[in-house]
Amino acid sequence: MDIISQLQEQVNIIASLAFNTFGTLQRDAPPVQLSPNYPEPPANANAVEDAASLAEQPKLLSAELVKAAKQFDALVAALPLSEGGEEAQLKRIAELQAENDAIGQELQKQLEAAEKELRQVQELFGQATDNCLNLKKPE
Amino acid sequence: MATATYPPPPPYYRLYKEYSKDPDSAPAPPPPVEGPYVLYGANYTTDDALPGLEEQGVRQLYPKGPNIDFKKELSSLNRELQLHLLELADVLVERPSQYARRVEDISLIFKNLHHLLNSLRPHQARATLIHILELQIQRRKQAVEDIKRRREEAQRLLKEALGTLDGQ
Repeated sequence: MDIISQLQEQVNIIASLAFNTFGTLQRDAPPVQLSPNYPEPPANANAVEDAASLAEQPKLLSAELVKAAKQFDALVAALPLSEGGEEAQLKRIAELQAENDAIGQELQKQLEAAEKELRQVQELFGQATDNCLNLKKPE
Repeated sequence: MATATYPPPPPYYRLYKEYSKDPDSAPAPPPPVEGPYVLYGANYTTDDALPGLEEQGVRQLYPKGPNIDFKKELSSLNRELQLHLLELADVLVERPSQYARRVEDISLIFKNLHHLLNSLRPHQARATLIHILELQIQRRKQAVEDIKRRREEAQRLLKEALGTLDGQ
């Protein structure tokens, strides 16, 4: 895939990681106590293992996000933006077109000369074989 | 069950009766459409330029101007994005009802990122064209060299053959 498509893909990956991160954390977060008057919810049987994975999740998810962002920076650094602007590129294209035309004409010339020589050789060869086989009296 | 018949062919087929004998007696095909046109009720345009961000109602975060330093702007937008994501996390912890503004900012940054990347495409197209032209010039030079070489070889062989025949 070309570099710009890779960059676009990376932006979309960062976006999907971001909303997956926030969605997961919101879904799995334990409830917050709004006021000390409300009673605590009954302690869950698997509260301990939940708490362990709840502490791990933000670390893993944010590590993924940062990795994706670093990958994006690496791709940006790899952009081959050599020329300074549109005019330089257009000038180079005009130069290359002129050179292409010139060498195309040279190629055409060489080709025509070669074809002419081929025809000459073929004709002479035909005459020589005719003579050899005595099909035509030599003038 | 009633089925509809196919629509008949357009009536101007009669104009092409003598086409096989005289191609000029029939009308020429219509010229290509230019400018905006309507197709099935939707408006399209033949001018395929990338519309600017302002025209789509999106605020532009990177500076305008003739030559944009794409690498710098892309990296700074990336940093902005990460900072905004952190801010969103903080807001969700402390003031959860104010998430909307932050989410809007994040989507604005994404739109700017994609617009920047899209505006790199014309540059890429020109670079591809330059590359193709260079390849073609190289191939043509190679072909010219090949033909010259073969012609010289043929001349040499003919002279050799002539020498052999004369020596008999």
